[in-house]
Amino acid sequence: MSTAGGIIRALNSGIKHLAVRRFTLRYPEQKLKFVGDGFQFNPETGVGIAGLRGRHILYHDHCTGCQLCAVACEGIAEAIGMVKVNETWKQNKKAIMPQIDYGKCVFCGLCVDACPFYALYMTNDYELSSFTKSALIYTPAQLAVKPKISQDVEIKIDDRGATHG
Amino acid sequence: MTTPLPPGIQLEKVDDRIMTLNVGPQHPGSGHMRLIIKVDGDYIVSCDPDPGYVHRGEEKMAEYRNYIQNIPHLERPVIHDSSNILYPYCLAVEELLGIEVPERAKYIRVIAAELNRCIYTLYWLAIYGIFLGHSTMFMWPAGDRELFIDLLEAMSGARVTHAYLVPGGVRNDLPANFEERCLRQVDYFEKRLKEYQAIFYKNPILISRTEGTGILSRTDAIRLGTTGSVLRASGVNYDIRKKEPYDVYENMDFETVVMKEGDSYARSYIPYLEMFESCRIIRDAIRKMPKSGSVRTKLKPNPKGGNDEVYKRVESGRGELGYYIVSNNRPEPYRVKISVGSFRNLICMPYLLKGELLGNMPSVYWGLNYWPVEADR
Repeated sequence: MSTAGGIIRALNSGIKHLAVRRFTLRYPEQKLKFVGDGFQFNPETGVGIAGLRGRHILYHDHCTGCQLCAVACEGIAEAIGMVKVNETWKQNKKAIMPQIDYGKCVFCGLCVDACPFYALYMTNDYELSSFTKSALIYTPAQLAVKPKISQDVEIKIDDRGATHG
Repeated sequence: MTTPLPPGIQLEKVDDRIMTLNVGPQHPGSGHMRLIIKVDGDYIVSCDPDPGYVHRGEEKMAEYRNYIQNIPHLERPVIHDSSNILYPYCLAVEELLGIEVPERAKYIRVIAAELNRCIYTLYWLAIYGIFLGHSTMFMWPAGDRELFIDLLEAMSGARVTHAYLVPGGVRNDLPANFEERCLRQVDYFEKRLKEYQAIFYKNPILISRTEGTGILSRTDAIRLGTTGSVLRASGVNYDIRKKEPYDVYENMDFETVVMKEGDSYARSYIPYLEMFESCRIIRDAIRKMPKSGSVRTKLKPNPKGGNDEVYKRVESGRGELGYYIVSNNRPEPYRVKISVGSFRNLICMPYLLKGELLGNMPSVYWGLNYWPVEADR
């Protein structure tokens, strides 16, 4: 008796969910909204600013070519290499800037923590797949592009359960 | 014909009564490890666990990187419990370098650790459910886990490998309105958690499969040196968060969940009940947390540890997790030894499975809260 009752109660609690709205997100059409514009770091206080750790953004007018980001990445992913650029900046005498291989990057963001010149941040862009490995190597010019993002779905909670958007 | 057989494998004759079964190592319900099981009909005669398939030398790797560069690779063994595996490392390095952690950072760490414990336990519960043939119990925890992943993503910026805890505090402060959002999702999660009772834990089919299987007595649990939920399911009230509180756990209001049965059912029920306690801790920490202040002590670049050694331990999702770090005045540690709960719980496997039905193997194995990648390090 109690066995049958238990099985019916178990089935019943599952059947109740037929009326609940679905929780899953329809990914390519809907995208989750994140806080802020990606992970940033304030070298004065030594504390970061919350945000998603996606693709990097490089501000050419701040980068001095000091290589601290490449040093920080040594022993972690070795994804950052310094390359020559055809630009002349007063603060960057050697004209070298980081180039990031996203086939190796683990998105830990410790390179952002290492940058003392407000030049390297991270963005909300996480869709980086490509058909070739060489396309995953982002040059300083590619890293300077601000990503276009339309992410607006959030988890909503009401009496009928939790949903996305 | 002369090629030597791999260890643990022997050829059998047709009229042999005992048959050897290799469960694993490539994930047929075992995780990445091999169980060499000898069966007589449907009953297990002996079981010999063979870990080490996913050994990657984390401890050796740590000797070649400085204290900050060690963070991303040390959380790899358990990526869905990455705050808890970094916690003792941070505590140990802080003691080595003599760093004081700001008060607010301590509370944020506790919140991150408890959110991560829930993520781990839900993931474990999903696998536990699917290997007992209950596919709804795979979908529900995997879906509800998203609530916590979302919160930790807002906090740290990554879904699984957070690299959020660092020696000296946490990487960044909480985002705006985080407390309110966290409380709303935790409240909803507790409501969802109660629905698991009827469909899974009070389900007569689960009870018939797990109750009374693989009984580990209190004395055996202590003698074999098990930790975490396995120890508490055998009636030992032992939790590092209570016995040896680290950071601000002594101010938190929660209880240790203990069950006396020591069977497979108790071992699966304890982590579930602990998720309620985790929710209590999160709520308490948000209430008691200082509203503003620093969250990270600035370190010198490439900090050097003295001629010293430390051992720090925390309660992770799988039991006691400790780091033993020896330093010799260099920026890199001289030796890092990770003591993990998974590996300690594996030792009771041969005792629990002897005389058990082969069909009960998954429930006993997953009840041990064993994570092969962490155990192999």
